[in-house]
Amino acid sequence: MRLPPGVRDWLPQELAFKRDVEERIREVFRSWSYSEVLTPTFESYESLERGLGEKLMQQTFRFTDPLGQALALRTEMTTPIARVVSARLRTASLPLRLSYIATAFRYEEPQLGRMREFTQAGAELIGASRLDADAEVLFMAIQTVDAVGLTDTRFDINDQAIVDGAIVGVGFIGSEIQRVKEFVADRNLPALTALRGHPGIDNQRFDILLRLALARGGTDVLDLARSICATPESIAALERLALLLARCADLGYASRIGIDFALLRDLEYYTGFVFEGYIDDLGFSLCGGGRYDHLLPRFGFDTPAVGWMIGVERILLALERRRADERPRNEVDLLVSGSDQLAAQQRALGLRVRSEVLGLTRAQMIAYARHKEIPRLLIYSDGQVEELLLSSEDK
Amino acid sequence: MTPLLRIAMPKGSLYAESVRRLAKAGIIVPNDTGRRLTVLTEDGRAELLLLRPSDVPAYVEFGAADCGIVGKDTLWESERSVRELADLEFGHCRLVVAARREDRYHEGARYPTFLRVATKFGRSAQTYFSERDLPCEIIALHGSVELAPIVGLADVIVDLVVTGSTLREHDMVVVDEIDTTSARLVVNSIGFRTKYAAIMNLLDRLKETPA
Repeated sequence: MRLPPGVRDWLPQELAFKRDVEERIREVFRSWSYSEVLTPTFESYESLERGLGEKLMQQTFRFTDPLGQALALRTEMTTPIARVVSARLRTASLPLRLSYIATAFRYEEPQLGRMREFTQAGAELIGASRLDADAEVLFMAIQTVDAVGLTDTRFDINDQAIVDGAIVGVGFIGSEIQRVKEFVADRNLPALTALRGHPGIDNQRFDILLRLALARGGTDVLDLARSICATPESIAALERLALLLARCADLGYASRIGIDFALLRDLEYYTGFVFEGYIDDLGFSLCGGGRYDHLLPRFGFDTPAVGWMIGVERILLALERRRADERPRNEVDLLVSGSDQLAAQQRALGLRVRSEVLGLTRAQMIAYARHKEIPRLLIYSDGQVEELLLSSEDK
Repeated sequence: MTPLLRIAMPKGSLYAESVRRLAKAGIIVPNDTGRRLTVLTEDGRAELLLLRPSDVPAYVEFGAADCGIVGKDTLWESERSVRELADLEFGHCRLVVAARREDRYHEGARYPTFLRVATKFGRSAQTYFSERDLPCEIIALHGSVELAPIVGLADVIVDLVVTGSTLREHDMVVVDEIDTTSARLVVNSIGFRTKYAAIMNLLDRLKETPA
């Protein structure tokens, strides 16, 4: 029996590794006082559709129930959470802090780091619009990658309003703005360069926009953007990012944070601040997030939100490449034979106890324990308990 | 020492000029690469992957190469997501619709209602005819596309043209120009950030080089 493309089994060692990573993430979420939620794996297509952009809609697994109702597997968790919050947590006092670790499904070409079933961990801070909320999710993301052992992860931050303000400042108007923004997001320099001399634009300012499309750095990028940004929203966003950089520096993150003017995550979804975390040895980002103030209003709840997510399998991929030689941990403390009570007592003490079920002889049990690296044996026979300790030198 | 940059190079028509441009930018590629798949520059600052042109986008998208040189025509046909940092202004060709002279499509004769198009550029051809509401069947070929209309396999071809001499030899003419292509410097979106200084340096030096 073969599995369909894009899904996988998790065998014991692999799953233990994954659960360990998930637990570390959960620990960080707890330390920030986020409450974990879970929504159904599938729900009505209509409700998921409200939160999804065109690309995700095309990647949605859709099916109908026997009554003909259109259903769909979730492609991410933010939309279901927006639905839950709008429908059931409206009267809760804001802001809400919710987290999740859940699988999601997308129909796309399976490839390295991209499966059709995958696990996302993330957090949503709903009902807060200040920079403090943006900073909170960014700091949480940094602490999470650190907690799983990817302390060399670097982060780029940006704000859509800055890109909009710069494009307007150059002189583009109406539908041109969106087109130019897409070229910036794709870092498509030949397509951008071809717009030089476009009617109505200032070519000197345009050349600064071209430089910005390639720009990464710190406050120097903000200064360059400030020289062409024309809208009050963009000026305010520049101030916010400068402040955020300073706050990152206070926490000792200065060397890990940069401004990337062309960082524009999903344009249909994010409305302001965005960030992405990445490491040298993966060709795709590890985590990312930002402000999505337009999503909850689509569910009839007019409140701002900011959130972030990390791909659990991507963490595993990065860690596996680094710890290739690390031995899996021993998962059994004790082997017990001949007594249910003895085994129950030891389990009650919190030990991981394996019962002997094959009817092995004493010598076979010792061999078995050595092979499985079980350090301790309790053998009950004729009213007597024999304890054997196998030190690592015995192996 | 790990090389600073890993560059995906297209074997074939763009190769010689790519090597010349890199040399001018300070990356000296050894002349005799034999049948090797990778070459390290003498100073060890860059490693080159010698690839089929159509494989360049994949190596770059997955971050196996930090950047690469590839024709825009390959990017049209690829679904790979890479960042196009510069038009290197060489390897210019036109992607055209061409047909037998005697069919007179170039003089305004109407296409058959269901057009058969032989091409190596299926995506570009499909887009071109769809945008014009012309129903067509794409016949994917891998070489000598000009043969298809001559033997009646297709009504027109979509192919790259440099001088047009191949078309003339087979008594074919250009019906319409779809787009023009040239060599591009492409990067992986993450590699661009993690090796920012090295890639910006390469970009500047490639741009300074007169064509």
